[in-house]
Amino acid sequence: MIDVISTTTVARPLAVPKTRVEPVADSDSRWVRLVFSYVGWATAWLLFGTLVGEYLGIKFVAPDIDHVSWLSFGKLRPVHTNTLFWGWSSLAMLGMALYVVPKTSRRQLFSFPLAYVSLVLINVSVGVGDVLLMNGINNGGQEYREYIWPVQAVFSIGVTLIAYNLIRTIAARGIDEIYISNWYIIGGLLWTIALLVIAYLPWYQQNGISETVIQGFYMHMGVGMWFTPIVLGLTYYTLPRLLNKPIYSYSLGVLAFWTQMVFYSMIGAHHFIFAPIPWWLQTVAIIFSVGMVVTLAAGTGNFLLTMRGSEHAIGRSYSLPFILAGVLAYFLFSFQGTVEAFRSLQALWHFTNYTVAHSHLTMYGFVGFLIWGTVYGLVPRMTGHEPSAVWVGVHFWFALVGYLLYSGALMIGGTMQGRNWISGSPFVDSVTDMLPYWLWRAVGGTLMFLSHLVFAYNVWSMRPRESAAIRAGVAASGAA
Amino acid sequence: MTLDFGKNHWLLFGVSFFGFIALAYVVGIGPAIWVQNHTQPLPGSVAPTALETEGLKIYISEGCVYCHTQQVRPLKMDGVWGRPSAPGDYAYVRPVGVWQPYASAILGSERTGPDLSNVGARQASDVWQYLHLYNPRSVVEGSIMPAFPWLFDIKAAAGPNESVVPLPAHYAPATGVVVPDARGRALVAYLLSRRQVPIQGYGGAR
Repeated sequence: MIDVISTTTVARPLAVPKTRVEPVADSDSRWVRLVFSYVGWATAWLLFGTLVGEYLGIKFVAPDIDHVSWLSFGKLRPVHTNTLFWGWSSLAMLGMALYVVPKTSRRQLFSFPLAYVSLVLINVSVGVGDVLLMNGINNGGQEYREYIWPVQAVFSIGVTLIAYNLIRTIAARGIDEIYISNWYIIGGLLWTIALLVIAYLPWYQQNGISETVIQGFYMHMGVGMWFTPIVLGLTYYTLPRLLNKPIYSYSLGVLAFWTQMVFYSMIGAHHFIFAPIPWWLQTVAIIFSVGMVVTLAAGTGNFLLTMRGSEHAIGRSYSLPFILAGVLAYFLFSFQGTVEAFRSLQALWHFTNYTVAHSHLTMYGFVGFLIWGTVYGLVPRMTGHEPSAVWVGVHFWFALVGYLLYSGALMIGGTMQGRNWISGSPFVDSVTDMLPYWLWRAVGGTLMFLSHLVFAYNVWSMRPRESAAIRAGVAASGAA
Repeated sequence: MTLDFGKNHWLLFGVSFFGFIALAYVVGIGPAIWVQNHTQPLPGSVAPTALETEGLKIYISEGCVYCHTQQVRPLKMDGVWGRPSAPGDYAYVRPVGVWQPYASAILGSERTGPDLSNVGARQASDVWQYLHLYNPRSVVEGSIMPAFPWLFDIKAAAGPNESVVPLPAHYAPATGVVVPDARGRALVAYLLSRRQVPIQGYGGAR
């Protein structure tokens, strides 16, 4: 039967129709609940951490908004960064890894109780660490190393137990090959365990300069050897799975893995260009920052060539747009990091808000978007409950426009800051001239925060519910 | 036992783990040990006093390091902050407590506010420092630095050895006088101690 469509009565849907997921095959409810617990806690930390970030952004334009010690900028800034590092991003990607590793190993997770122990330890470390930070009890360190050592030790034990859990799962795998995702995921876990131990051992950090050498190394590896490999590993599973075709090149993935390990490890000192640390160390960091382009090109090329020819599938999916945006951000903004490492550009941008823009472009545009793509892509396949495509779209556009606005404002403003200093005008000019850019940053940040509220709602609508209801739902949608 | 990384998980994970540690030694631990063994305090520099060390703890605890560098680069534009920083400038930065068994990170990564390497020479007045800490906008119009009123006490009258912070009426409390507490005094002592030791040919505070 064909309807006659009148041009005046075409109903335009708010969003293009999105493909629905196939009926749930992964019916182990224990597994579903475990993964969802990680995602749920991660989402809670996301809301808290970005609420703090939003408040910090407001302080740049309203410094007298409060005069409360534990709400002051210096106390809350590490709360913002550490919550989003160790609470949100880490738990979310680990939760998805607890799905991907057993799935690609064709083996049940080695131990469910152990995975819950890890979840508790990580949550405790972030909660206690944040309270201590707000009370001014910190490690005396710089970025991402602010939790005092007993707190970070609890976190490290949690991570070590997950690594053990997943390695045992892989060791008992039901297939011959170790799937490429698991190279990246286990690589990220092992590197980070080593990194945390190295960063928290005190003997070679007894004066200001030796501590700085370690801080440069740690600060970069904390991102580049933890979030980068693990979210890439997740994408090596999620992307082919959602497109229903194999990854373009397995060997490119292997090349990117080894170059990741060798090149990324060497570039930490580029955070201290022109500092009184050994000049050769800075030069090595700059050279390998360029070498990093090999890793970027291999990884991004692999993903984009996998997507080639599937543009329609991406447009019809609510999860793949996040992955596309995340992959593009991976290339663009990591490449931005390479460029920033050059001495000529460090002279302009170092110490300015440009750096803040860069860290948000990467941690949010790259890591955050790939996590969201994986969550939206895989969680409905576990629980059988899909979020509303319209609300996922709202999340996508608010987050995308928000972070581009945020970072765009800080990149322009940061460049102006640097030019102000070079011109020799009074320092306070570089503060007052920033005000409009800080205002735009707050606007972008607000959009980002709103998108997280939508994400939290979407996570809620994907929650696992009673399995009989799921089967009934599948039967109903199959009949429709 | 196969030597195929794709099939032998112990080989793959072992090489990844120990390979990373080896690389970490080359660009992290090794250089750190080297600079630690080769950094001496500059001639003419003096070790921090107990009060100044206490002040450094407040500096770290309040998160001053997020907006202030103590790192003058060998660039023309950094000339306003003093001479280029040398490793020896940080030789006296030592661990300060059981929760901080490392030297404190004071070099900083962002310069939202001015560099403080030489602030003791640039703003040598303790009165100015107290005014500025109580509310930065009382002395610097356009500053966005947080106010730190919790480093001060408001009293009916100053004690015998206490000095009143001479706040402009707009920033002063309705009643009573503002005096720095022990933490505020320690922090200001630390800030005033930030004076670069001269290096011949490179400048520094006199």
